[in-house]
Amino acid sequence: MLFVVFAENDREEEMSFTEKSYKPIDINKVISGKKTSSLWHLMSGFHLHYLVANLFTGLAALARTFIYLYLGGFVDRILEQGVVGTDLIVSALSFGGLITLQALSSFMSSWMATFTAENSTRRLRDYLFDHIQRLPYSYHSEAKTGDLLERATSDVDTIRRFFADQAIGIGRIVMIFIISFVAISQISLRLALISIIIIPIILVVSMFFFKALSKAYEAYQEQGAKISTDLQENLSGVRVVKAFARQDYEIEKFDKDNKEKFRLGKKFIRMHSLFWPLTDIVCSAQTIASSFIGATMVFDNIMTLGQYLSFVGLLGWLIWPIRNLGRLIIATSQTFVSLGRISTILKADEEDMTSATYQPEGNIQGQVKFDDVCFAYEKDQVVLEDVSFSCEAGEVVALLGSTGSGKTSLVNLLPRFYDVTCGQILLDGVNINEYSRQFLRSQIGIVEQEPFLFSTSIRGNITYGVHREVSEEEIVMAAKEAAIHDVILDFKNGYDTMVGERGVTLSGGQKQRLAIARTLLINPRILIMDDSTSSVDMETEVQIRAALEKLMMNRTTFIIAHRIQSIMNADQILVFDQGKIVQKGMHAELVNQPGIYQDIYEIQARIDSALQEEIERVDLL
Amino acid sequence: MSTFYEEDELDDEVNLTSGVLARLLDLLKPYWLTVLLGILSIAVVSWLDAYFTVLNKRIIDEGIVARDMNAMVRLFWNYGMITMGQVVAFFVMMLSVGIQGERIRYDLRKKLFNHLQKLSLSYFSKTPIGWIMSRVTSDTEKMGDLLTWGIIDSMWALTNISFAIYFMLQLNTQLALIVILSLPLMVVVSFKFRVKIYYHYRKSRKANSKMTASLNENITGVRIVKALRREDQNLKDFKVLSTDMFRESYRAGLLSAIYLPTIQTISAISLVLILWRGGNMVGNSLLSVGTLQAFISYIMFILWPIQDLARVYAEMQNAIASSERVFSLLESQPGVRNRKNLLPVNSLVGDVEFENVSFHYEDDEPVIQNLSFHIPQGQKVALVGTTGGGKTTIVNLLCRFYEPTSGTIRIAGNDYLNYSLEDIQSRIGVVLQIPHLFSGTIRDNLRYGRLDATDEEIERAAQMAGAHDFIVKFEKGYDSDVGEGGNQLSVGQKQLISIARALLSNPDIFVMDEATSSVDTLTEALIQKGMQQLMTGRTSFIIAHRLSTIKSSDQIFVIEDGQIVESGSHKSLIQQRGVYYNLYTKQFRQDLEIKLDPFAEAGAEVNPA
Repeated sequence: MLFVVFAENDREEEMSFTEKSYKPIDINKVISGKKTSSLWHLMSGFHLHYLVANLFTGLAALARTFIYLYLGGFVDRILEQGVVGTDLIVSALSFGGLITLQALSSFMSSWMATFTAENSTRRLRDYLFDHIQRLPYSYHSEAKTGDLLERATSDVDTIRRFFADQAIGIGRIVMIFIISFVAISQISLRLALISIIIIPIILVVSMFFFKALSKAYEAYQEQGAKISTDLQENLSGVRVVKAFARQDYEIEKFDKDNKEKFRLGKKFIRMHSLFWPLTDIVCSAQTIASSFIGATMVFDNIMTLGQYLSFVGLLGWLIWPIRNLGRLIIATSQTFVSLGRISTILKADEEDMTSATYQPEGNIQGQVKFDDVCFAYEKDQVVLEDVSFSCEAGEVVALLGSTGSGKTSLVNLLPRFYDVTCGQILLDGVNINEYSRQFLRSQIGIVEQEPFLFSTSIRGNITYGVHREVSEEEIVMAAKEAAIHDVILDFKNGYDTMVGERGVTLSGGQKQRLAIARTLLINPRILIMDDSTSSVDMETEVQIRAALEKLMMNRTTFIIAHRIQSIMNADQILVFDQGKIVQKGMHAELVNQPGIYQDIYEIQARIDSALQEEIERVDLL
Repeated sequence: MSTFYEEDELDDEVNLTSGVLARLLDLLKPYWLTVLLGILSIAVVSWLDAYFTVLNKRIIDEGIVARDMNAMVRLFWNYGMITMGQVVAFFVMMLSVGIQGERIRYDLRKKLFNHLQKLSLSYFSKTPIGWIMSRVTSDTEKMGDLLTWGIIDSMWALTNISFAIYFMLQLNTQLALIVILSLPLMVVVSFKFRVKIYYHYRKSRKANSKMTASLNENITGVRIVKALRREDQNLKDFKVLSTDMFRESYRAGLLSAIYLPTIQTISAISLVLILWRGGNMVGNSLLSVGTLQAFISYIMFILWPIQDLARVYAEMQNAIASSERVFSLLESQPGVRNRKNLLPVNSLVGDVEFENVSFHYEDDEPVIQNLSFHIPQGQKVALVGTTGGGKTTIVNLLCRFYEPTSGTIRIAGNDYLNYSLEDIQSRIGVVLQIPHLFSGTIRDNLRYGRLDATDEEIERAAQMAGAHDFIVKFEKGYDSDVGEGGNQLSVGQKQLISIARALLSNPDIFVMDEATSSVDTLTEALIQKGMQQLMTGRTSFIIAHRLSTIKSSDQIFVIEDGQIVESGSHKSLIQQRGVYYNLYTKQFRQDLEIKLDPFAEAGAEVNPA
C-alpha cells in the first residue's frame, strides 16, 4: 500500500532530511511591508509548490463540478436514447475517471500545501531559534523567556496552520463556490441567483459566531490554565496542606475553579448547539426552496431531469461550505496577530559576531587596560564611572564591592556582552571594539557562581562549548583537577548521567566545579570568575582552592570576590562603591590604608577573638 | 513541562482485557439517561441522513418523473418537516452529549484531585508533579472525548452505514451487493491510514515538546551560550529536533493527503460498476432514475461514516491508555492511613517519645536506625548535623507524613498510630524551610492556619509573629496579593507569614525547619522573636541552623547517619569538644563573617537587572 513508502530506513531518511538545504528566507522582505506580503515571503522557495497546490484545488473543484454535470447528461441520455452496451461502459468509466481525477487533484493540492507549510515553518523555526540566540545580551536581559518561547512555538504553529489549512481552505471554498455558481447559471441563471440569497447572511452569521466562539474558547482555556495552577500549587505545597490538615479546604477551593471550567464548557457547548442547528435550518430551507423551484422548472420543461440532478448535486457545494468560510476568515485574522508578534522579534538586530578591524595571530597575551570607562544600561543611570586600571598578562585582579556597585557590569564589558558608553578598554594595547566578538569570547572563560547546566549528560556539560574533539582521558583529568570527579562517579551512570534526571541534584558548588572542568578544557587566556560563598566541608574547600589555583595559573583573572581570603594573593584589588573604584592596590598596601578594605580585613581577627571569648565563656559556665 | 509526560507514553501497549473498558463505561452510569437520549437522538439523525436519499429518490420518481405536482409538493413538505425533526434531534444530541462530556471531565478532575489529597507524602516524593498534572489535565480530556464524541461518532457511523445498507437492500439487492462488497476494503484501508496518521501526529507532538524544551534552555542559558560561542553547534542540534518535528508532521500531513483520495478512488470503482449495471437497468426500464441517483448518493456519502469510525478507533487506543493511567492513580493507596478504633483526642499536650524507631524509604537503605529519645512536654529540641543525616526524616515521622518501619512513637503517652491523622496534623504546627504560600492575599494565607479565624485574630497572630509591620506597609495591607507561590514577597517575609500562620493554628507541638538562606538583620530578629512566641509552652522540634536558636534550646541532638551521636545542652556539648563543637565554631565564624561583611549580600549578581 501507499504507506509502505515510509516504512523503514528512518536513519537514511534523517540524513537526507537534515542535509537537504533550503533556500534561506530573505528576512528583510519578511519584516518590511504588509502582513500579506510577509506571509508570501515566508513561503519563498516554495511559491511554485503553493501555486501548484492552488491550481490543483481549482482542478479538483472543476472535476467535482463536471462529475455532477456529467451525471445529469448521463441520465438524460439514458432516458432519451436508452444508452446501452459499450457506450454505457465508456460513460461509466469516464465517470470513474472524473472521480479519480478529482481525488488525485485533492491529493496533489493537500500534498503541496502540506509541503509548503511544513517546510516554510521548519525554516522559520530554525531561523527564529538562531536569531533569538544571536540577539544581544541586553535584549535577553529585558525579554521574558515565556513570552519569547510562546512566540517561537505557538505563534509559529498558527502560521503553519494558515499555510496548511486556512489559505488553501479559503481558496478551495471560494473556487468551489464560483465554479458551482457558474455551472448552475449555465443551467439557469435565475435559479443560480435565487440559490445564493442566504449566502451573505450565513457568511456574516458564521463570522460573528466563530469570533464569539474563539473568545469563549479562550476563556475556557484560561480557566483550564487556572486549574493547572491550582493543582500545581496544591501538589508543590503538599506538606503545608498536610501539616495544617487542610485537605477539605483544598478540595473545596479546587472544586470552585473546576466548576467554573464546567460552566464555561457548558457555555461553549451551548453556542455550538445553537449555531449548527440554526444554520442547518437556514441552509436546508435554501436547499429545499431552490430544489423545489428547480423541480417545477422540470415540470415546465425549462429544465431536463438530468439538469435537475446536476443542479441538486451542485447546490450542496454552493451552500454548505460557506459556514466554514467564517471559521477560516476568523482564523486568518488570528494569523496576522501571530505574525505581528513574531515580527517584533525578527526586527531586533542580531549581535555582530564577526566584523573586526584587528585580528591577532594566535591567542592574545592577556594584558588589559581600562581607560576612563563609563557605562550605563539606560541614559542617566550610570553604572560605571571613570573606571581606570591596568593589569599585565597573567595577573589576578580581584573586584570587591557590594551588590550593584558595578563589579558584574565591569566583567560583562570584557566579552562585549555590553559595549562601553564612554572611554575604552584595551586588550594587548588594542581597543576591544576592534576585535570580533567571536574572537574575544574565544579568549575569555567565565565561571559563574552557580552556572546554568544544560539537559544533557555530565560529559556533555563538561565539553559544552569546547570547540574541539576531547578525549575521555582529558575529560576525566579536567574533572579530577576541578575536584568533581569523585562526585560524578557517585552517580549511577557516572559521566553519562543526565543532568536533571530524577535523583541527580547538583549543589551550586558542584555545578561551579563542572564549569571549572569545562573551562580547564577550553583553556582561555582571560578568566572571569565568581568566587563561591557556598559552604562546603573543609576537605572539599581545600580541593576547590587547589582547582581554582590551577585554573587561574598563567591567565589574566578577574575575580568577583565575596570573601577576603580568596583575594589576598591577588596582584591587584579593586574596591568598588557605586560604580567607582574607591580603593586600588595589593593586599599588603590596602591593609595598611584606612578604608573599606582594612575594615574587612580586620573582621577576620575580630572573629577569631570573639570565638575564643565565646568558648571560654561557655567553658567557665 | 506537562507535555513532556503526556507525550512520554507514545508506545503504550493497550490491553483491552484489563477491564478498562468496563470501568470507563461505569463512569457513564450516573448519566445513563443522557447517554440513552444522546444515542437515540444520534440514531434518529443518522436514520434521517440515510432516509433523505430515499426521499430524494421519491421526489424524482413519484414527483418529477411521474409529473405529479401534488405528490411533489407533499414530498417537499415532508422533506422540510423531516429536516426540522432532524435539526431538533441534532440539537438535543449536541446539547446533552456536550454537557455530559463536560460533566464527565469535571467529575474526573474532582475525583482525581480528591484522591490526591488522601495520598501520603511518599507518593509525591516518588511521582513527579508534571506526571500527575498530565493525568488531571490532558488524560481527563481524552477520556471525556472518548466517552462522549467517541461514542456518538461511532454510533452515528455504525447506524448510518446500517440504515444505508437497509435502504439500499430495499431499493435493489443487486446494486446493494456491489456497494456492500466494497465496504470491507474501504474500512480496512481507512483504519490502517487513520492509525498511522494518528501515530505520526502524536510523534510530532512529542518532537514538538522536545523542540520547545531545547529553545527554552537556550534562552535561559543564553549568557553561557554566548560566552562559549555555542551558537553554531546549538543551531545544528536544534535542527535535528526541528527536522524530527518536520518529518513527523509532514508524514501525518502527507498521509492525510493520500488518505481521502484513496478511499474516494476505491469508491469510484464501485460507482463505475453501479453506473454500468444500473444504467443498463434504467435503459431497460428495470430501474427508476431516482433509484440510480440514490445509489450514487449512498456510495459517495458512505466514506464519511467509515472515516469517522476509523478516526475514533485510532484515537481510542490513546484514550484507553490515558484511562489506564488515570485509573491506576485512583487505585494507588495512601501509605499512611488511619487505623481502626482510634482514640479520641482533644489535645496532644504531653511528652513525645521515640522508642527504637527505624525507618527507610527504600529497602536496605535505612535512614533512621533504632532511634530512642524522650522529650518532656514543653521542651525545646534542636536537631543539628550535616545534610542527609536524617533530621528531616525525624521531623517527617513526628508529623506522621511517614510512619516508622519499626518501633513506636508516643505522643502524650499513646502510640500515635492510635490517633487519627487529622488530629495529629492539625495539632502539630509546621514551618517549612522553604515557606510555601498559596496564591491569594496575605490574609488568605494567614487564615490557612485556622479557617474560622476572625480578622482581628489574624492580625493579632501577625503582630505576634512580627509580620504585621511589613504587611501594613503594603498599599493594600492584608489584602495584598502574594503572587504565585508567594513570589511577590521576599524570603524573609514569607517566613514571617508562615510563622504567623502556624501561630494562628495554635498547635500543641511545634516543628520548624529553619531556613538556611540569610535574610537581613532586622527580619532575622523578627523571625527569632516570632519563633520564641511559637515555642513558648510548646514542645518544639527545630531543625536548627541559627546559633541563637540552638543555644536557647533545652536539648540539642546532633544527628548523623540516622543516629543521635551527641546530645545535651549547649554547654555540655561545647565542653565535649566533639562533633558539636566543630559544627558550632564553624557556624560561629560564618555567621560573624556575614554579619561583619560590609558588602553583605546573599549571592552574586549574575544578571545586572
